[in-house]
This record gives sequence, structure tokens and C-alpha cells, in this order.
Amino acid sequence: MIGYVPGASALHRAHPYTPLAIATGLLLMAFAVSAPGAVWVVVAAAALFAASAGVLGTVLRPAAILALPTWVLLTILHGLLGGAPHVMLGPVAFSVPGGERALVFGGRLAAILLAFLTALATVSPARLVEAMTARGVPFGRVYLLVSTLTVVPRLRARVRQIVDAQQCRGLRLGGSPLARLRALGPLVVPLVLSALAEVDEQALALDVRGGTARGRRTALEPPEDSRADRAVRLAVLVAVVAAYAWKFLGAGG
Amino acid sequence: MTLRDLVVVRLGVAVNLVVGQVAAALLLPVYLDTIGTVLVATLVGPRAAIVAGLTSQVLNAVLSGNFTWLPFGVVQIVIALYAALAARLGAFRRLGTAVAAGFGLGIVAASTSAPISYYLFGGATAGGVTAVTTVLRALGAPLPVAVAAASYSTDLLDKSLVFALVAVVLRSLPRQMAVRFPMLAR
Repeated sequence: MIGYVPGASALHRAHPYTPLAIATGLLLMAFAVSAPGAVWVVVAAAALFAASAGVLGTVLRPAAILALPTWVLLTILHGLLGGAPHVMLGPVAFSVPGGERALVFGGRLAAILLAFLTALATVSPARLVEAMTARGVPFGRVYLLVSTLTVVPRLRARVRQIVDAQQCRGLRLGGSPLARLRALGPLVVPLVLSALAEVDEQALALDVRGGTARGRRTALEPPEDSRADRAVRLAVLVAVVAAYAWKFLGAGG
Repeated sequence: MTLRDLVVVRLGVAVNLVVGQVAAALLLPVYLDTIGTVLVATLVGPRAAIVAGLTSQVLNAVLSGNFTWLPFGVVQIVIALYAALAARLGAFRRLGTAVAAGFGLGIVAASTSAPISYYLFGGATAGGVTAVTTVLRALGAPLPVAVAAASYSTDLLDKSLVFALVAVVLRSLPRQMAVRFPMLAR
């Protein structure tokens, strides 16, 4: 839905762990507070995070598309079907406590989406891989996160081939739910079996490229982890710990 | 984890991401986004299945942009452990026992996901589950009951189907391919 958006903001230039830490911090803060006003302060912070990277316009649309259906359902579930007391909005009785709950849950959703879509837009996957390699993250983890993204389009293309082949053999994809359920087997089983058939070949390819090599790998162009980066990440950690300490001491707002 | 296990885990993650979309394209009221996790649990073991499940959850969020699914990663861990145990007990040897074990997983998975959905998201997550929750709530069910009932109704069917499909895949494995997975022989 959204990927890396090249830019020259401080967040684009920061160590890749920094925007990810801020996004994670905002997620944790959204759950640390439980009053509607406090949750929407976190939403404002997430919007500020996006604006500081110059990607607010880019992330607002996908965030709204993802959040809108859930906001509607929250309004129905908590606002229209919520408990007393109610206020009359024209002909509709709207639950006051339910409306507050919908604001809290809707705000959390908005904060999470804005924060992580901003991280996605500002962290270059290539720089993230370099940063992970420089930090000594095991090859397996880097391989899983990055390489799987290249397999997914290949498997999707194979699904299309299997669908075409099975339709030529008379498979019908429409009809009743039971008929559609029956179509699953002829699509899923060949897909998984053909993928399993490639396992040894891929393991061998990885092996000859040094996949089993021990020792620390050298990053070609490791991103700089400046003092400012480390200070920002420490500040995020302190803010989150303080918010949860406040929450569990019974004073969370 | 060996290099070969790593490749199987990657395959499991890709299967999770792609088969879920096949189910959505067929307009089926199931997710099928844990087939890869269950498959890895039967072929490699619980640790690899947990890695496959958590990686799927992260990549699913990255690919869709919907990061609110991240807390449901806990459910993937539960599924990985349960599937590995079911495989060890031989649940995948027959279709009937696989479906029964999948039904059991449906109960376990729903019991894990319903509290996350209720406490973190107020019962409104995404898709068909929330629609069922809304209908039940409109019929007068209290919100926690509506959220739990919606989770159970979708998870029981989904996980039974996942286990059945994995059992069919394992039975269809050619012998020379099956012998390369020692976990299958246990």
C-alpha cells in the first residue's frame, strides 16, 4: 500500500532504528493512555512525526482508507449500540460512554497507522539491511525479512498459473460457498507442493553464497548511528516507561 | 536452525501471505493465513514455526500497511506450538483427526485472539469478524460475548480447514520429498 518515499528530512537521514523506535514508542504510548483527550494527543504526536519527515500528505490517505471502515464499525458498536446515558443526535440516540470508548479505540488505531506508515515511508529497506548487518543481526533474520518479500510476487504469479491450469481442467471458482471451498484444494495443494520442491535447490544456492558462514558480516555502507539518534531512542524509552509507570500507579489519564 | 530449515520457514511465510489472499479472492469467510505456520510446524518443528508465524505477522503489516494486526502475533505463537504438538501426536495422519485437531486449535486461537480484539481494539478489528460482532451486538448480546462468539465462529471453521489442507498436502508429498523432512517420520 505504501513503501519507502525518498526524501532529505532528518528522519530520512537518521539511523533506520530511530524512526522504527519512535513508531514503536507511539504505539506503546497509545495503549498507555485511556482518556480520549490523551489518546488524541498521541495521534497529534504521530501526525507531527509524519509532518517532520515531510510525508504527512503521503501517509494520510492510506491511513484514512485503512482506518475508516473500523471507525464506522466502532461508531456503530459503541456509539449507536452502547449503554446509557444517551444524547439525541437528530433522530438517533447516541451513547455518551460508548462514544468516548469509540474515540479512544479509533484514536489508537489512527496513531498506530500514522506512526508505522511514517516509519515505512522514511526507512529505506537497503539502509535497514545495512544497519542490521552492522549490528551483527544473524543472517537468517535479515534473509527472512527481506528475501520473503521477493518470493511473494513469484508465488502470486504461480497462483495465477495454477488458477488458469485448473480452470482449463474444469475448475469453477464461483458458485455457492461450498463450491468455492472445494476450489481451495486444487489451488493450494499444487502451490505448496511446487514451492516445497524448490527447497533443496534454494538451500544449495544460499550455501554457495556463504549462507552458513560463521562470523560477523561486514556491512558495505553502514548508516551512521549518531549521538542524536541514540539520544532520541533513549528519550522514547524514557517516555514509554514513564507513561506505563503513570498508568500502573493508577493515575493514567 | 539449518539453512534448509530457513528456506522452509521463508516458504511458510510466503504461503501464509499468498494463500490468505487466495481465500479473500474466493470470497470465503476464512483467513487461511496460518497454513504456512502449521506446515512449518509439521515439517521442521515449533521453533521454526514460531519464527514463520511472527515474520508473517510483521510482513503482513508491512505489505498491507495495517499495523494494528501486530498484537495478534501472539496468536501465531500459540498456533505454532499447538500445531507442532498435534503433529507429534500424529493428528495429520488422517483427515478426520486433522479436522478434529484443527477444531481444537480454533477454540485455542479464538480464546487468545478474542481478548486482544476486545481489550485493545474495542471489538472492532477488520473484515467479517467485526461484521458478525456488530450483528450479535445489535441482537442484544453484550459486547464481550459478541466479540468472543464472532471469534469462535470464524476461527473454528478457519483452523479446521487449515489443518485439513495441511493434512492433504502432507499426504500428497512424494515419498522422495517426504523423507527429506525427518520431523514427518516421527
